[in-house]
Amino acid sequence: MTKIPAVVEVKNVIKTFVQSGAFPWSDSVNVHAVRGVDLVVKPGEVVALVGQSGSGKTTLSRMILGLEEPSSGAIQLGGSPWSTMSERERHPYRVDYQYVPQDAMSALDPQQTALEHVIETLKALRGQSSSDAEINAKEMLVRLGLGERFGALPREMSGGEQRRITLARVLSLTPKLVVADEPTSGLEPDRREAVLRDLIGNLPEEAGCVLVTHDMGVARKWAHRCLVMLDGRVIEELDLRQSEPVHPYSQLLFHPWDYPVPEGELSASGCPFQVDCTRFKENPEAPCATSLPELTKSTHKSHRVACHLGEISATLSSEVNSN
Amino acid sequence: MSKALLDMRGLTINHNGRNLVSEIDILVEAGSVTALMGPSGSGKTLSARASMGQIHPAINLTSGSLRFPMRDDRDWFDGIVNAGPKAQNRLLHETAALRGPYVSYSPQMASSALNPGRTLGRQLEMAIMRRAKSTDNLAMSVRRSLDEVGLPHHASRALPIELSGGMCQRAALAVAVASHPQLVIADEPETGLDPVLTRGITELLIRVCKERKCGLLLISHQDETVARIGATIIRLPGVEVV
Repeated sequence: MTKIPAVVEVKNVIKTFVQSGAFPWSDSVNVHAVRGVDLVVKPGEVVALVGQSGSGKTTLSRMILGLEEPSSGAIQLGGSPWSTMSERERHPYRVDYQYVPQDAMSALDPQQTALEHVIETLKALRGQSSSDAEINAKEMLVRLGLGERFGALPREMSGGEQRRITLARVLSLTPKLVVADEPTSGLEPDRREAVLRDLIGNLPEEAGCVLVTHDMGVARKWAHRCLVMLDGRVIEELDLRQSEPVHPYSQLLFHPWDYPVPEGELSASGCPFQVDCTRFKENPEAPCATSLPELTKSTHKSHRVACHLGEISATLSSEVNSN
Repeated sequence: MSKALLDMRGLTINHNGRNLVSEIDILVEAGSVTALMGPSGSGKTLSARASMGQIHPAINLTSGSLRFPMRDDRDWFDGIVNAGPKAQNRLLHETAALRGPYVSYSPQMASSALNPGRTLGRQLEMAIMRRAKSTDNLAMSVRRSLDEVGLPHHASRALPIELSGGMCQRAALAVAVASHPQLVIADEPETGLDPVLTRGITELLIRVCKERKCGLLLISHQDETVARIGATIIRLPGVEVV
């Protein structure tokens, strides 16, 4: 039996930017956005990348799509060596790997109607004839609840409708991978729910999805796997439907009101979270200040954590039931 | 009983025959937090801006009264209700003197609310100059404003583009309270922030308002945030939008 390749396979990817100052004479600084991340997205899987602003989620997701080049490391999409391919070689595959932008309004053409947006996408990227594109575009818009809004311009639509147009464009292409960068930012809780239902409910069966978010409720509800990022590294990987986060930083991220307010200072050596870590304060002899914790595999295969003082114990009944 | 800072009653605003908000009452007392919640399009921002006397000429104030009892007994909507855009413009000019020294507004998306072409220090100076009591030492006041929100002093030389999202939010808060207002209106300060920063900025907002003994009208989407800070909640009913 041939093995089905993973939709995305990221191996030890590093990205360093040179960020210039506001003025030509300002000093430029090196920013380590992503510092060695491994990630696999299997067909039909939704993986959430969560973390605070500046943790490297967006950079990682852009590298997956080839919108940024990694400084080192390898990225494979559908078994092809994506990170070593030239743009010309990537071009025929690009249609299968789609991006849902954070700001829907700026991604839409202010002079095109909802229907025109989707028709143009199908004609340009799938090479469909005008009549076929129109039939398919209408079908997708109806499926996303925009059946009565074919002729609406972006400015005449609500935030949720604008999001749905970006989703309709992407989903009508039956992609193999969708990378959604905060698809629900700026929307209200009930609208968030509807947009995610539209996105994930209409994904092709074998398609993978990378969901970048800092809404923990979204990750909990919609993702099969969740990667918590801090300072460019993955510090915990878990299935939120089976386990609860155990890394002190993940716990803070998921329950910000239950823990002391962090100083927000990240340490350059050892564990980046040591300054605000209550567990390290209680166990000062632990090696957190000197050695960087590795993402260790546990007996519970879907849960990995990078913490010298972390214990994986919380396994919910779902796994027990499935056995 | 202490007098209220803001007492707005029965606010109804109409546009093309449709009520955008109807019969909204908002009461904010000194040292207290009132949260204004409701779905998108329910008129949260509209009501908050109306409470500062800002009503767009294209929409029509059809009923309501607006008083700032701590200041005077005047009903600012007297003569404005159903009197059309010119009267609403007059209200905008008359209430201009209140905005800054009495009430200040911190808009949604701090990064876009700050002037991109002016350093934070200059923006703070301009807010400080709107204080009811003038200050002698502007530079010292700027440093105090930065200390209050936990920003380093060198941030005064930075342009908004050089600040991170969390710092921008702090900077916007510093500008909002620099004029020493008695009432602060914060419009969804958590927009675009991650959960940890949201908690930080909300607590900072509450602390600064408590220290200053000023009232806070917080517009928010987040039930958990509002529940944690123990605010009085005003819920606006939603409107049917797809």
